[in-house]
Amino acid sequence: MTQAEREAILELLNSPQVTGPTRRALQERLDARFVREFFDETGFARLRAVATRLVPHDPAEIDLAGMVDHRLHAGSGDGWRYADAPPDGEAYRRLLRALPQAFETLAPEAQDAALQDVQSAHPRAFEDLLAELTEGFMAHPLTQYRFGYVGFADAQGWLHVGPGELEPWEEHHGPR
Amino acid sequence: MDRAERLPEDLDVLVIGTGAGGAPLLARLAAAGLKVAALEAGVRHPPEEIATDEVAQAGLFWMDERLSAGQDPVPFGRNNSGRGVGGSTLHYTAYTPRAQPDDLKLRTEFGVGEDWPLEFSELEPYYDELEYFLGVSGPAEYPWGPQRRRAYRHPPLPLNGAARLMQRACAEIGMRTSPAANAALSRSQEQPGYGTRHTCTNRGFCQAGCSVGAKASMDVTFLALAEAHGAQIVDGAQVTALTVQGGRMTGAEFLWNGQLHHLGARTVVLAAGAVETPRLLLLGGLANSSGQVGRNFMAHVGVQVWGQVEEDLRPYKGIPGGLISEDTHRLPGLVGGYLLQSLGVMPVTYATQYARGTLTWGPDLIEHLRGYTHVAGINVLGECLPYEHNFLELSDEPDARGLPKPRIHFSFGENEKKMTAHAEALMRDLWGRVGARDVWALPRAAHTLGTARMGHDPQTSVVDPFGRAHDLTGLWICDNSTFPSSLSVNPALTQMALSLRTADALTGDLKVRA
Repeated sequence: MTQAEREAILELLNSPQVTGPTRRALQERLDARFVREFFDETGFARLRAVATRLVPHDPAEIDLAGMVDHRLHAGSGDGWRYADAPPDGEAYRRLLRALPQAFETLAPEAQDAALQDVQSAHPRAFEDLLAELTEGFMAHPLTQYRFGYVGFADAQGWLHVGPGELEPWEEHHGPR
Repeated sequence: MDRAERLPEDLDVLVIGTGAGGAPLLARLAAAGLKVAALEAGVRHPPEEIATDEVAQAGLFWMDERLSAGQDPVPFGRNNSGRGVGGSTLHYTAYTPRAQPDDLKLRTEFGVGEDWPLEFSELEPYYDELEYFLGVSGPAEYPWGPQRRRAYRHPPLPLNGAARLMQRACAEIGMRTSPAANAALSRSQEQPGYGTRHTCTNRGFCQAGCSVGAKASMDVTFLALAEAHGAQIVDGAQVTALTVQGGRMTGAEFLWNGQLHHLGARTVVLAAGAVETPRLLLLGGLANSSGQVGRNFMAHVGVQVWGQVEEDLRPYKGIPGGLISEDTHRLPGLVGGYLLQSLGVMPVTYATQYARGTLTWGPDLIEHLRGYTHVAGINVLGECLPYEHNFLELSDEPDARGLPKPRIHFSFGENEKKMTAHAEALMRDLWGRVGARDVWALPRAAHTLGTARMGHDPQTSVVDPFGRAHDLTGLWICDNSTFPSSLSVNPALTQMALSLRTADALTGDLKVRA
């Protein structure tokens, strides 16, 4: 995240365009970093390597693997799981163990081929992990800024809702 | 209720659950002068504390794990569940079409499915009452169903991007459309027991909670009214068991502030929804001489079609389901039919559905999500028949409280598969006409219905046509578990109508007994 990006994000978040509850949620997420607790060191390094192939991102900017680890350690879930799959933590561990030795050091093409193999062998865990990473990615203020999304600017609501009818703070948020 | 307050005593009626099943009834009974209280597993979510952020709003959903089995496992959590004072109305889209009379007579018309043990004319006065009380915004002339006796209270909400695209595409093929009926305010109104509910700000996050009170969730409507009439709502109270003595209900046990408590009442109304209601009954082995508790689980056919258009559409703006068509209410070769609606969408919901639905990953995933502000959606809501193979049971896997997690088996039957295919083809055609690219379809099922069906015959149903348990004195059920068939419309409005109807029957019973 460049300094300019960070400033632009904080400028809108701290403006009167955003309500308090929304601002608090997004500010906290902008800088969220997690201490590894659920996976062992090897497993976590592998999870991070998988996460950056499935949902390409810079872990220094958005800590998606840490978010997954933190969620599993806290024991919280999303309200359901496939009845034929083990609990999430165990399912993810199996998925990671099924990858080849030294997955982290393979060339990107070889990593993708290995991921395709585990996608076939562990379809439920693969789908769940992909969805969880995607959620963390899309919910991050940096992603939202880069995609020109500004729906969180919620203090006034929207006067115009038709196609192409943008309000000033919608047009001006995001990369030029 | 403030947690420092004492629990109520000497109750006439205890209601379990505060959603579209429990809330209207609670208000009606309180207004009739009865001493009533409700237990709600979730907590209060006042509008001013709602964040415009899907992850921050996860507390509106039932996040205790449910096990999804069958050929078409139903996702719960963010979809198909609710928790909090107001239940799933906190995150419903406030889409409030009425059922049509023939929805209630499926077996008569087709020889399969089930008829409801009541007539449309019994629901109609409640629909009239509800649409006014909730402040439904809708068109002056609605093209489908019987002539209305009372106009919608407010004019329709503005049509967002997806709604205007659907309007244009349907016009090309001669399909009629109409602004939908939504229980969100296009003009402010005074709400008895609550105060002023403000006009919708077109914030588009209805499914993550309304931050201005424009949407008619139960907390700002019936529950406020109930409390004004003296009802008590105990939030954060997770019911763990129903209590019975000498063949009649005596109350419920629940966890509250980390302690197990008991509330006694002469009558208990179970309004915990089509998963927790049968779960509590099965846990206690109650009201099940028919063997029908947990059976006939239904979830509407809800296939969605998405695409990206050239225009900057901003799908987070405006009421998500702005436009409707019921021209597909009956179709050759199908049992029942479906309604068609336009779809706005919040970013995280869209992204995770795309990932699960297409299993796209890597740079292709990012590239697609980058186009989020150009996304337009359209979907259907269609009849789902009750089947032997779709049911809820208790698993042998305990939850955090040591109670068995529910396992829900769900597989589409032939009719649902045919309906999904028909709807997908229609929507792909429509989206082709507006020039959408990257069009993809997400087959899905929406809402939780059945599992404690109503009927006249105690051998084949759990409750009578008013919600009285056939088997157990003092127990009533008032939630979507009692639906004998799914209806081809969203269930909330009909659920509220049933709730008022049950309340009137219950008040009558209690008067007779007094």
